[in-house]
Amino acid sequence: MSDGKYFSTTKRGEIHELKEELRSLDRPKKKDAVKKVIAAMTVGKDVSMLFPDVVNCMQTDDLELKKLVYLYLINYAKTQPDLAIMAVNTFVKDSQDPNPLIRALAVRTMGCIRVDKITEYLCDPLQRCLKDDDPYVRKTAAVCVAKLYDINPELVEDRGFLDMLREMLSDANPMVVANALAALQEIQELAGPGKDLLQMNSQTLNKLLAALNECTEWGQVFILDSLAAYDTRDPKDAEKIAERVLPRLQHVNSAVVLSAVKVILRCMDVVALGPGGGEDTIKAWSKKMAPPLVTLLAAEPEVQYVALRNINLIVQRRPAILANEVKVFFCKYNDPLYVKMEKLEIMIRLASDKNIDQVLLELKEYAQEVDVDFVRKSVRAIGRCAVALDKATERCINVLLELIQTKVSYVVQEAIIVIKDIFRRYPNQYESIIATLCDNLDSLDEPEAKSSMIWIIGEYAERIDNADELMAAFLETFPEESSMVQLQLLTATVKLFLKKPTESAQKMISAVLSCATNETDSPDLRDRAFIYWRLLSTDPEAAKDVVLAEKPVIADDSSSLDPSLLEQLVTRYLATVAAVYHRPPETFVSRQRLAVTRAEELGSRKFEEEDGAVAGSLVSDNNAAAAAGAAAAAVGDLLDLSEPSPAPAAAAAPAVAAPTARGLDDLLGGLDIGGSGAAAPVASTSAASSDPFASFGGAASAASAAAAGGISPAALSQLPVLLSTPGGVSVSGRLVRQGGQVVYLLALKNDTAAPVDGLMIQTNRNSFGLSPTSQVLALPGPGVLPPGGVVVPVRVPLTVDGSKVTPPPLGTGLQVALRTNQVGVLYFNDAVPLAALTEEGGTMEAADFLNAWKALPPEASARLPLAVPSAEVAKQRLAAAHLVVLAHRQVPATGQDAIYATCRISAGGIGQVLLELKFVAGAGGVDVSVKAERQDVSQLVFDGLPAVLLGTA
Amino acid sequence: MISQFYILSPRGDVVIRKDYLGDVPRTSSETFFRNAKFWKEGDGEAPPVFNVDGVTYMHIKEGGVQLVATTRANLSPSFVLEFLRRICTIVKDYCGFLSEDAIRKNVVLIYELLDEVVDYGFPQNTATEALKQFVVNEPTVVTPAFYQAKPLFSLNKGPTGVFKSVLETNRTDGKRRDEIFVDVVERITCTFNASGFIASAQVDGAVQIKSYLAGNPPIKIKLNDDLLIGKRDAPYGHLDAAAGGGGRGFGHEGGHMVVLDDCNFHEVANLDQFDVDRTISLVPPDGEFALMNYRTTHGFKPPFRLHAAVEPDPNSEFKALLTLKLWCEIPADKAASGMEVEIPTPRYVQRVHCDLDTTGGTGGAGGGGGAAGGLTGRAGRAAAAAAAAGAALQAWDYNEKTHLLRWKFKKCPGGSEWTLRARLTLERPYSPGLRGEVGPVNLRFTIPMYSASRIALKYLQILKKAADKNYNPYRWVRYVTSSNSYTFRT
Repeated sequence: MSDGKYFSTTKRGEIHELKEELRSLDRPKKKDAVKKVIAAMTVGKDVSMLFPDVVNCMQTDDLELKKLVYLYLINYAKTQPDLAIMAVNTFVKDSQDPNPLIRALAVRTMGCIRVDKITEYLCDPLQRCLKDDDPYVRKTAAVCVAKLYDINPELVEDRGFLDMLREMLSDANPMVVANALAALQEIQELAGPGKDLLQMNSQTLNKLLAALNECTEWGQVFILDSLAAYDTRDPKDAEKIAERVLPRLQHVNSAVVLSAVKVILRCMDVVALGPGGGEDTIKAWSKKMAPPLVTLLAAEPEVQYVALRNINLIVQRRPAILANEVKVFFCKYNDPLYVKMEKLEIMIRLASDKNIDQVLLELKEYAQEVDVDFVRKSVRAIGRCAVALDKATERCINVLLELIQTKVSYVVQEAIIVIKDIFRRYPNQYESIIATLCDNLDSLDEPEAKSSMIWIIGEYAERIDNADELMAAFLETFPEESSMVQLQLLTATVKLFLKKPTESAQKMISAVLSCATNETDSPDLRDRAFIYWRLLSTDPEAAKDVVLAEKPVIADDSSSLDPSLLEQLVTRYLATVAAVYHRPPETFVSRQRLAVTRAEELGSRKFEEEDGAVAGSLVSDNNAAAAAGAAAAAVGDLLDLSEPSPAPAAAAAPAVAAPTARGLDDLLGGLDIGGSGAAAPVASTSAASSDPFASFGGAASAASAAAAGGISPAALSQLPVLLSTPGGVSVSGRLVRQGGQVVYLLALKNDTAAPVDGLMIQTNRNSFGLSPTSQVLALPGPGVLPPGGVVVPVRVPLTVDGSKVTPPPLGTGLQVALRTNQVGVLYFNDAVPLAALTEEGGTMEAADFLNAWKALPPEASARLPLAVPSAEVAKQRLAAAHLVVLAHRQVPATGQDAIYATCRISAGGIGQVLLELKFVAGAGGVDVSVKAERQDVSQLVFDGLPAVLLGTA
Repeated sequence: MISQFYILSPRGDVVIRKDYLGDVPRTSSETFFRNAKFWKEGDGEAPPVFNVDGVTYMHIKEGGVQLVATTRANLSPSFVLEFLRRICTIVKDYCGFLSEDAIRKNVVLIYELLDEVVDYGFPQNTATEALKQFVVNEPTVVTPAFYQAKPLFSLNKGPTGVFKSVLETNRTDGKRRDEIFVDVVERITCTFNASGFIASAQVDGAVQIKSYLAGNPPIKIKLNDDLLIGKRDAPYGHLDAAAGGGGRGFGHEGGHMVVLDDCNFHEVANLDQFDVDRTISLVPPDGEFALMNYRTTHGFKPPFRLHAAVEPDPNSEFKALLTLKLWCEIPADKAASGMEVEIPTPRYVQRVHCDLDTTGGTGGAGGGGGAAGGLTGRAGRAAAAAAAAGAALQAWDYNEKTHLLRWKFKKCPGGSEWTLRARLTLERPYSPGLRGEVGPVNLRFTIPMYSASRIALKYLQILKKAADKNYNPYRWVRYVTSSNSYTFRT
C-alpha cells in the first residue's frame, strides 16, 4: 500500500467520508483516515475543519496513530491557534507520558501555538522537559524555549529558562548542546545587541570547543558561528580556537568548512595584533585553508556557487591564500552559467604577472564559446586584466585584436568597449591599433560599443586621418541614437573641431549643436550643447582647456567592494547569505515577527474559502464548510476568555484539582458561568434544581431518569450513540422538544476506572443558534460520572441564542464539546431533527395558507422513498411533530391522498413553513412540496420528514 | 532559520510542503517557480540562492524535482543547500529512490521525516540511523521505471544502482539480505589544448558506502599502501607523516604513488591506523554516505586522447574534411560504456556526412584494425569482420539546428583506436579559420571497474563477533570513473 491512494478521493463529500472514518472504531481504518488527512494537508489543502475529529483520535496508546495526529496538530498549531488550543489539555498530559517521543512531541507542538495566554500553561511542562532524562526530550525543549521567547520574552526571563539553556551548553549530549546554542543564538537575534545572552566567556568557550568534535554537522555550524562571534583580543585565545577549528576544514559538509574558514579568518586578524604580527602562524593557517577551499569546487554546482561568492570576498581580503590556485577556477564546459560567471570574477582577481598567460589563454577560449553572456563577460575580463596588470597589457590587447578578427558582432563590440578602458588607463601607448578598430565600425549596433568607438575617434582625432569622415558617418543617424550615443557624439564632434578645425568639422559642429539645442527632448543633451556652444563662441582656447583637459587615469574597480563593506562582510558575515549577495544583511533581511494571537481575538476569525480547484473541491461540501466555520467559532464560544484570572477560575470549577489540567479548565471554568468564583456553584445548583433528573438525587437510576425525562429505560438504551471511546466516556443522546423548549437528552457512560467529574457542555455555532442554558452538566448527586459503565441520563435544556446563529445555508449539523477533568475535551457531532425545531401551535388559517402558497416563491419538491400506511397515520405522526394539518383531500384521478400542513420554526429565523404531501397509502413514495420565506428550508424539511413520517422522531 | 521547505514538480506543483516558521506566505512556492523559470538576468538558470521581496530562496534539483527552502534570516546558505542534499539522501535511504513518483507514494512518511529533521527551522539529527527510532511510517519502495534506460552510474548521483530502503535491515522474516556496497566513484575533469597537451586535469573521487548490514557491525577498509596525501613539493594536511613512506615515490615522476591533493573524511571514520597502514575502521551508519572525498591532479593518465584535423576538400571549395582520431588508453580488460563525443561545428556548416572507418588504422594496438583488434588483442582476424564489429559499436548523427556532430559508442574497449572522417558541406568557401571554429570537442563516458587515480580497496573486513558462523554478508566493491568535463580544444 502506498500513500498515493490517499489522494484518490477528491469528489464531493470527501470531508464527510473522512469524518466518518475518523470516528470509526476500527483502528487501521482510523489510521488510514488520519493519513489521508495528512496527505491532503501536505499538498496544501485545508483540512482544518476536521480538527475536532482528528483530535479525538489522540486518546490512544497506538504510537503511530498518536504521531500522525501530532503531525496534523503541529501544522495547524501555528496557523490556527484557536483550534490547537482545544488540545492543550492533552499536550500537558502527554508531556508526562512515559514515552520520550510523546513527551517531546507534546512540548514541541505546544510551543507552536502562538497565543499569549497559553504560554503560561506551557511553562511547567517545559521546565520539566528541560530537565528530562532523555536527551531527545531535552533537545526538543531547548528549541521550545526559543519559540516561547518569541511569544513572551518576559516570561522566559522570569522563569529562568535562559539560565537553564546556558547550563545545557555543558550537557553530555551534543545534540542538546547544539540546540541550546541555536536557541540562544536565535533569542539573541530577537533580543537585539543590547543583551549578551550567550555570555561568551572563556568557560563557555571551552564548553563549545569540547562539544565541537562530537556534534552533528549542523550543530558544528552553530558552534562555529558562535566562535566567530566571540570577540577576543588575545592572540593566545585565537590560537587555541584556531587549533581546534582547523581539523573541521576536513569535513565533508561545505557549510562546516565555510564556517570554519570564517572562524580562522577572524583568528588571523587577532593573531596579527600579537607580537611580530603573527606572520608565521598566518602563513601556516593560510596553507591549510587553501586545499579545503579548492575541494569545495568539486561539490555540486549550488554549493560551488556559494563557495565561489565567499571565495571572492576571501581573495580580496587575503589574496595570499589562493594566489597559486588560479587553475582550479578555470571553467568547465558543463558548469552552469552562474558558476562560470563567478569563476571569471575570481580568475580576474587572482590574475598576476606570473599566471597571466595561462589566464589569457583560458579567457580567449571562453570568448569563443556559444553562450553570449559568458562570452561578453570573458572579453570584459580580458580588458580588466589589462587595466589591472600593466605588464600584461600588450598581451591582453593582442588577444583582443585576435578576437576582433573573428568578426562576431558581440565579441567585436565588447572588445571595443574594453579597449576604450585600456586607452583611458594607459594613454598614448597603444593607439596604433586604432586602425584595426576603425575597420569594424559596421558591426557596431549597441549603444555602449558605439559610444566607446566614438569616444576613441574624438579622443584621437588628430591621429586618425579620416576622423571627420568617420564622424560624419556616425552623425547621419544622430537624431535616432540613444541619448548615451548622442552625448558622446556631441562631445566627440567638439573635440574633433578643436583638434582639426577644418571646414567639414565646422559644418558638423554647427549641425550637431543646432540639432542638439533645437530638436531634442533630452535636457542633458541640450544643456551640454549650450555649454559647448557658448564656450566655443566666447573663447575657443578656454574650450580647449575644458574639453581636451587631461583625464585622470582609471583603475579597475568595476566589481570591487567598498573597503568597509568588504571588511564587514568578511569578518562578520562570511558564509552567510549576506556574503552571497555581497550586501549587508540590513538590506535584505526582513525578519517578520509573527503575530502573537491574543486569546481575546480567538473565535472572531472567519474561515476563508481558498481559491484553487483543490481546496475548492474539498470545501465545496456545504456541510464541511459549515462545520469548519463552526469549529472555528466553537473555540471562541468555548473559551470566552474575557477575564481569565486563574485563581478564581480554578475556584469556579470546584472539581479542578490537578494542576496539569489547568489549561482548559481555567478557560472553560471561569467563563460563561459568570466569571466570579461565587457564581459557579450557584449556577450549577440552580441548574440542578430546575433539572428533573437531578431532583431525584442519589445514584440516578435509569427508571427515575425515565420518569423524569419522559423516556423509558428501553428508550434510554435506544438513544443513538454520538461518541464512543472504548475504555473512555461514551455519549448517546438525541435532541427532542419538550415543553416548548429544545432539550438534549443525553446518556453518559463512563468506562474508565476512575470517576469523571467537572462535566461541562457547549455547542458550536449552528444554523439555529441552539446553545445550552447552562454549561454545567446537571449530573445527579455529587456531579460525578461513576466508573464501571453505569449509564447516567442527563437532560440539557437548550435555548436559542441569536448571536450563535451561523449564516446560511441551513444545516442540521450540531457540534458539541463536552469537557471533563479526566479525559479532556470530547467532541461529537449530531443532527438537529425536524421535530425538535417545529414549535407547538404553529398553525395558520386555511385561507391564509392558500394566499401564502400563491404569494411565496415556487416550491421545492422532492419524492421521499417512504411508505405511509394510511393518511390517518400520517396525520397523527405529523401532528406529533408539531406539523399542523390544515386540509386533507383525495385526488381521485391518481388515487393519491393530499395533505396540506404547516409549521413554524422560529429558531434561526426561519418562520412559517408550508407543506404539501401527496402519496398513495401503503405504496412507496411521498411527493413533498415545501414553500417558505427562506428557500433553503426545503432541504431541512426533506431531511427531517422521513423521521417524522416513520414515527421515529 | 529555515522558514519553509517544499518539493516542486517540474510543472511547479507542490508535491510536499512543510512550513516551519510561518513567516513566509504560502504563495512563495509560486513566486519561486516564476522567478526560477524566468530568471531576469539573461537566459541562464537562476542562481541557487536569490532574494525576492525579502525572502531568500535556496534550491537544488535532484531526481527531476526541485527542493526549495525559504528564509528571512541571514543564515548560512551552504548550510541550507547541504541540508537539502541531505534530505535527498534521507528520501533515497528510506524509499530507495528519489523521484516525484516516489515522493507522492510516500508522502506521509516523508512528511513525518521532514517533521523530525527540522524543529522551528533548526535542522536536527539527520542521520538515517538516528531517524529510524523516531519515525513510524513504513516506506513504499519504488524502483524507477526508467532504471534500465539509464547508465548504471549516472553523474553526480552517486554510485548506487541499488533501490532498497534502509528499513530492510529491520526485517525479521528471513528475506533480509545483509549486504554492503563500497563504491569508488571518480569524476575526471580534463582539458587538452590545441596541441594535444593537458592544460588542466583533475580527478574528484569519493568512497561511497551504502550499508544494509543488520546490527551495524564495525568494518575495516584498507586502501593502497602507496597512497600519499598532499603535494610532494608542499606537504600539508594532517598526514604529513605519510611523506616518509612516500619517500621512494619522489624519484619516479608520476610513478607508482597514488597522490591525493586533498581529502576529507566522514565523521564516523576512525583514522587512528590510517597513517600507519592506510586502514580506516568505522561503524557504518545506515544509508548512503561518502566515507572519503578526495581530489588529485597528479600522476593519473587521461583515459582518452583525441586528435582533430581539418583539411580542404581538393574536389570542392564548399567542402571540408574533418578527421578525428580517438585513442582509448585504459587497460585492455576495461571498457568505457555509453561514450559520446560531441563536436560543435560553426553555423555555416550545412550538412555533414561521416565515414566510421575502423580499418584505416595506423596499426594501433593489435595491428589489424582499431576496435576489434584492441578488443581481442589478437591480430590476423579478417579485416572485414573487424570493421563490421567496429561499425556496430559506433554511430554518428548531426543536428542541423544546433550544428552539433555526435559520435557515439556502445562500448569502447581499452587499447582501441577509432577514426571518424566527416565531410562538411559549407555555405561559404573553405578558409583555414574553420579549424579554430570546430570544437571544442567534449567527451562523455563512464568506465566501470576502473579508477583513474588508481586508488584501490585492498580489503573490506566486517568485524562481527563470531557468534554466527554462517554470517557472511555480501560485500560489493565497485569502481567507476566517469567524465565530468573532458574537453579537447581545437
